[in-house]
Amino acid sequence: MLTTTPTPARQASRALARMIAVRVVGVVFILLVISLLTFGLMYLAPGDLVKNLLGNRPTSPEAVAAIREQYRLDDPFFVQYFTWLGNALQGDFGTSVRMQQPVTTVIGARVGLTVALCLLSFLIAAIVAIPLGIASAARAGSTIDRVSSSVTLIGLSAPTFALALLLLYLFAFFLPIFPIYGGGSGPLDTLYHLVLPAIILAAGLGAILMRMTRAAMIRELGSDAVSFARARGIAERDVRWIALRAAAIPIVTGAGLVLTFLVGGTIIVETIFALPGLGSLLQDSVLFKDIPVVQALTLVVAAVIAVIAIVVDLSYLALDPRVRTREFAR
Amino acid sequence: MSMRSPLRSRAGVRGAIATAGAALLALSLAACGGGAPAATEPVNLVDTGAELDEITVALPGSLANLYTGVEGGILNYYVASTVQEGLVGIDETGAVVPSLAESWETPDENTYVFQLRDDATFHDGAPVTPEDVVFSLQQAQDEVASPSLSWYLYNMSSVEVTGANEVTVTTAEPDQAFLKNLSTAGSAFITPQAHWEAVGGAVGTSESLLPGSGPYEVTEFQPDSHVTLVRNDNWWGGTPAVKQINIEFIPDENTRLLAAQKGDIDIAFNVPIGQADQWREIDGVRVENVNDLSYVGLLFDQNVAPFDDAKVREAIALAVDRQTIVDRLLRGNGEVATTIMTPESIESVVGADEARKMLAGVTQHEFNLDDARAALEESSVPEGFELELTFPNTGPQLGTAAQAIGESLGEIGIEVAVKEVPIETWLATIGDGEHGLSYMWYFSTTGDPAEVPAYLIGPDNPNGFVSDEAAALLSESNAAADPEERIDLILQLEELSATEVVNAPLWWGQALTSFTNRVGLADYSAYSFVGPWGAKLFAAEVAE
Repeated sequence: MLTTTPTPARQASRALARMIAVRVVGVVFILLVISLLTFGLMYLAPGDLVKNLLGNRPTSPEAVAAIREQYRLDDPFFVQYFTWLGNALQGDFGTSVRMQQPVTTVIGARVGLTVALCLLSFLIAAIVAIPLGIASAARAGSTIDRVSSSVTLIGLSAPTFALALLLLYLFAFFLPIFPIYGGGSGPLDTLYHLVLPAIILAAGLGAILMRMTRAAMIRELGSDAVSFARARGIAERDVRWIALRAAAIPIVTGAGLVLTFLVGGTIIVETIFALPGLGSLLQDSVLFKDIPVVQALTLVVAAVIAVIAIVVDLSYLALDPRVRTREFAR
Repeated sequence: MSMRSPLRSRAGVRGAIATAGAALLALSLAACGGGAPAATEPVNLVDTGAELDEITVALPGSLANLYTGVEGGILNYYVASTVQEGLVGIDETGAVVPSLAESWETPDENTYVFQLRDDATFHDGAPVTPEDVVFSLQQAQDEVASPSLSWYLYNMSSVEVTGANEVTVTTAEPDQAFLKNLSTAGSAFITPQAHWEAVGGAVGTSESLLPGSGPYEVTEFQPDSHVTLVRNDNWWGGTPAVKQINIEFIPDENTRLLAAQKGDIDIAFNVPIGQADQWREIDGVRVENVNDLSYVGLLFDQNVAPFDDAKVREAIALAVDRQTIVDRLLRGNGEVATTIMTPESIESVVGADEARKMLAGVTQHEFNLDDARAALEESSVPEGFELELTFPNTGPQLGTAAQAIGESLGEIGIEVAVKEVPIETWLATIGDGEHGLSYMWYFSTTGDPAEVPAYLIGPDNPNGFVSDEAAALLSESNAAADPEERIDLILQLEELSATEVVNAPLWWGQALTSFTNRVGLADYSAYSFVGPWGAKLFAAEVAE
């Protein structure tokens, strides 16, 4: 400040870069902690990799020893962890014990499907739930509000597997619009196969999103700003727009949060619909104690969640001038 | 022992199929006679002789790797057995028949000399050489390359090429069961050495697939999704009737049933017992049960108190109502196990009826709660105790039986907490030093009578049962060249297990397989799916 005064734009972009850098450093630290935690939990979890490999069969002590040697199972915990970490930092995530394939190949073959599934269900949830939440808030207590509240109650409380079976029966068997199982072949066919699973995932997601939107909108519609706007004679449509802008931060935060919940939901949906995605991979790998896959997958998921959180934070800058001013003034 | 190959030509497969209609009728009738509750109309199928473009097969779980050495579950065997071949095969009666070896001799009890057929080729067209056979068996024996196969070959001391088309295998100890291990029901899955080396040993993955010489070639594999098998037109055994088999992994049983009801599935392996009636009701679908060589029993870990006390074990064995479990809970889809070895394992020697009679001659613990109470009172824990019994999530029938067992044991003062766990966790509880009572659930693939008794009574058994007598009986039975003498020795081993209550047999399992009536399977038996089953499928129609 003493020397040349930078232009406000440059100042802003520098502040933005610093903010992102701080967040990224934080994320890297969190990922490290998560990798250690996951490794430790897998180490302590019940189950025995050697038995999983040898199967329910007679075994010789030599065979057990050879396998323990092969996977370095007798090394102390921290030696095992730091060996893994050292390799991972060099980009080598190892080989899946269960599949005998590089972890990056295994994950690469499935990531597309799960990402498509999550995005599709997020889109469905957002497109349906947010307008519904706004409409419900605008006419709180009306028929549309009561009906959509009841529907979201079902979406929130119905177990995923039960809902999946019901929709499978209705829309794949009784009215054979959608396929029953599988991921299809080719992008369009896969999308077609993903519609029903995505709707099921979107049900719970949309319910939360709708309620968040409704609550945020009701609060904003009752705020001083809206009262003033109405007093100034601004059309109700425009008033609602003002309220929505103010409600955007809680809605976006909520959307980001529920998007991260999707990861857990995919496990059930992928099993029911026989989809080769990351959810079923994670489940099988945890049970088998296939540590390289579990480690890599946990980190991928954690990184995605971290990125979503950063994007949500950055969106505050775009959505709220007050945040913008405060952040850039630092 | 020497065995000449029966002449098998391209007509061989078709010839076998011609008798299939009658065999299927007999099977359907047998299934009804076996106490199956839903009396299904027997279906008389005939082979239309036509080809089928493709069929869809549903498996109840996914494979992670196609090579049985890396993952040796029963579903892996089903898939690999129609893609790869062993030196020998096992026919529908459990007898050893030629496969890649057209004949063999045993000049002494530790030596097997195989003559390979000269018309066998791998799916890429390369001939199957003796070097490939030697390489495959060496890899199968290696516990790091093939953890789930190596045990079968622990007794193999050498394998080498000894002639233009000759391979000689020697064993360290005489073992009558050894030959069966050289089939796809055991550990011989002959794979091209060149391919193995090209992929650095990473066989059976979605990239390297699983080259072999069997009637079907793997063209696609995606874990948690599907395997695609395409007919091998150059198979030495003839041209199969089905051009393409789409194997779909559908883990959820309700999804699978819905897909079958919609008509998406031609064959479904391991139909859950609880759903059998719903499958039978599907129009144009039949469900066939066949004993699947599996054994379910209770295993007592003698390293865990109070299971070191024979009276405790006896009390538990007496408190289990096997007949009711089989009749009511399994709804007849199983058979009360009188021993660990199955009747099918000795049927080829003594016949089905005599086999059951012989096995029932072993000391039994008939259900009697008064006797059970009395035994517990004589034990070190007369006032009873608590225990946890886990069962694998892949065997819901084990869960319902566990509830019944828990109830009976509760009546004599043993409180049982039944717990469902993932199959991997269940596996880890066996012999963990905490669970004195466990389920043992074992799928024998070779069907050799000593396979399961050796595991559960012989040396290093998971029961913590140490017995020189058992070890001696086992090695004697391994060496016994006369099959009847061998059965007698294994029966003595079973008797030892029964009198000392080392194990408490519960039931021999059945596999329920559903078929649409457009597909038939010739010579369907307990051994079908660990052999080249794809080549035994035929296009069928229901005869009036």
